[in-house]
Amino acid sequence: MAARYLDRQLNIADYALGGLTRRLGKNLVVVLVFALVIFMVASFSMTTTSLKHAASQLLTTVPDITVQKMSAGRQVGFSTEAIKELEFIFGIRSVQPRVWGYYFDENNGANYTVIGVTELGDKTQLAGLGIDFLPNLKTDAAFEPAVIGRGVRENLGLGNRRAFSLFRPDLSLKSFVTSATFDAETSMVTDDLIIMDLKAARDLFGLQADEITDLLVDVANPLEIDNIADNIGERLKGVRVVTRERIGKTYRVAFGWRSGFGLACLFGAVAAFFIFAWDKASGLTPAQQQEIAILKVLGWQTEDIITLRFWESVIISISAFGLGYLAAWIHLLFFNGLLFRPVLLGWSVVKPPLSLVPVFSFADLLIIFSLSVLPYLAATVIPAWHSATIRPDSVI
Amino acid sequence: MKIELTAVEKYYNRGAPNQVHALRTVDLSITSNETVCIHGPSGSGKSTLLAILGGIIGPTSGSAVVDGRKLARLPDRFLTLYRQQHIGFIFQRFRLIPELSVVENVTLPLLPLGIRPAERKRRGWDLLKRLEIGHRGDFLAAEISGGELQRAAVARALINDPSIIVADEPTAHLDTRLSEDFLSIMAELKDLGKTIIIASHDPLVSGNPIVDRCLYLRDGRLTAVPGPQ
Ligand SMILES: Nc1ncnc2c1ncn2[C@@H]1O[C@H](COP(=O)(O)OP(=O)(O)O)[C@@H](O)[C@H]1O
Ligand SMILES: [Mg+2]
Repeated sequence: MAARYLDRQLNIADYALGGLTRRLGKNLVVVLVFALVIFMVASFSMTTTSLKHAASQLLTTVPDITVQKMSAGRQVGFSTEAIKELEFIFGIRSVQPRVWGYYFDENNGANYTVIGVTELGDKTQLAGLGIDFLPNLKTDAAFEPAVIGRGVRENLGLGNRRAFSLFRPDLSLKSFVTSATFDAETSMVTDDLIIMDLKAARDLFGLQADEITDLLVDVANPLEIDNIADNIGERLKGVRVVTRERIGKTYRVAFGWRSGFGLACLFGAVAAFFIFAWDKASGLTPAQQQEIAILKVLGWQTEDIITLRFWESVIISISAFGLGYLAAWIHLLFFNGLLFRPVLLGWSVVKPPLSLVPVFSFADLLIIFSLSVLPYLAATVIPAWHSATIRPDSVI
Repeated sequence: MKIELTAVEKYYNRGAPNQVHALRTVDLSITSNETVCIHGPSGSGKSTLLAILGGIIGPTSGSAVVDGRKLARLPDRFLTLYRQQHIGFIFQRFRLIPELSVVENVTLPLLPLGIRPAERKRRGWDLLKRLEIGHRGDFLAAEISGGELQRAAVARALINDPSIIVADEPTAHLDTRLSEDFLSIMAELKDLGKTIIIASHDPLVSGNPIVDRCLYLRDGRLTAVPGPQ
């Protein structure tokens, strides 16, 4: 009995597939539109997951506290004198100076991120970049050594050469030699990055001899971070003190309303599609009605007709799901979530910028599957109930 | 398979302004292996009577008993089972699905029975060969001639090996030669012990020697006429 049931299901599924291929053009349109909807939802959700993952990864490398000087609401440089002020705060393990700036390469129309650091033995200075290894900056005495990202190497057209020059603000040239390049594996952040000695960075940007842009503070006891941040704010006037927690909050707030907004827009598209599917499943062409009546006279039960519609919907929705999900994965993997990244993350909103490393989430897949395939089945099989009760005598 | 209709009434759209009283107090008894012709002008209720005999619709009132089983007021599900097991129906306009191949059309009744593809194909091709249209099996139903369509329709009616063949004006769209071919197929089926009920106002059918009895329908009332012509 069970075997016969299975054979019946297979027969009807086979007939459903045949029917779909007979009306290929029409059904292909449905599959493609549905796949597009699934692609959008899946891309959006995958991009969100990956961004959240990247943000949480990044947060682990962000220093406990970052100190910046603000003037007229903009970040400005300040003197290393400030370090002395912080020496008296109990609980601070270390304070590192850093110059962080952007260099616009007019020749190539490219923007590079320049970071100047002092000591090479301390990872704190590279915090926020997700960089694990520490380049040796002091290999070549004749030129100023620098570690550059792959993107920088390509933009400068270096090929196998190691030497390159950048302009100071007064348009005089400063020469560098690459001591290392970040390989392709590292995140997108490192792509446009140039790391150099702190003094070299000051020289390049035309800063004062003791001028820096950030102080990176490492705290011994995580529970003390907020207290120490308050303390720093009191001792140094006109500074912005950013804790790791605050950066995390910025990410969360930015994601929160953006992904909510995006989801609301997508929900509209999804709902529209299901209404369209319902409508299509409710109205049958005379030829379809006649086919159902013939099948019923030939001994097909009403439930066989519903089973037929069910398999048609399964085939359509599974292929659309596969197609849409695959496209979304390709979009994320090879195009870095190009379409939805700006929606989720205006580049200006979150600093330091996030790179996208695709994160596969089985839970996401399951959610998207159950929010696309199941409603489609409902939207098409429920109206099929009505059409399956067409009376067989209509073809006599 | 003995078929008994007693006091069968059939209304369409009962109580509505477009009500049709299609069958009026029909009493009919058909014995096993009998071939019966139902004669009558268009609109007299022939198709309706065949639909009741074929378990496609139920009568509004009265009783329809086949082999001791009551068809009247049987739920759709059981009427369908009855059709699956006992009825081969040949439609007036053949009613093949044009975009399916002939052999696919012929084997359609086997799908809900859970018969596997290989077995389905074997039965379909065997039957098509027996009916001498094996060479058309792979053609689409839309591509074959009227006579071939008729044979395909017969093959489809026979695929589930029914004991009762019901044919609604089977020769209406055929020329004389094809009509005679059809009747010779029916003769073979009669030899196999099938009960055959044919609705037709074609004298070729009512006058054919295979027909045991002819009945006359007029305005939904059934009367016996004394033999052919
Ligand atoms: N499904 C239906 N709904 C309403 N009226 C119908 C239906 N089928 C047949 N009729 C009517 O019932 C009468 C008998 O029709 P039918 O049985 O098809 O006669 P015949 O086959 O002899 O031409 C006709 O008046 C016809 O219009
Ligand atoms: Mg008729």
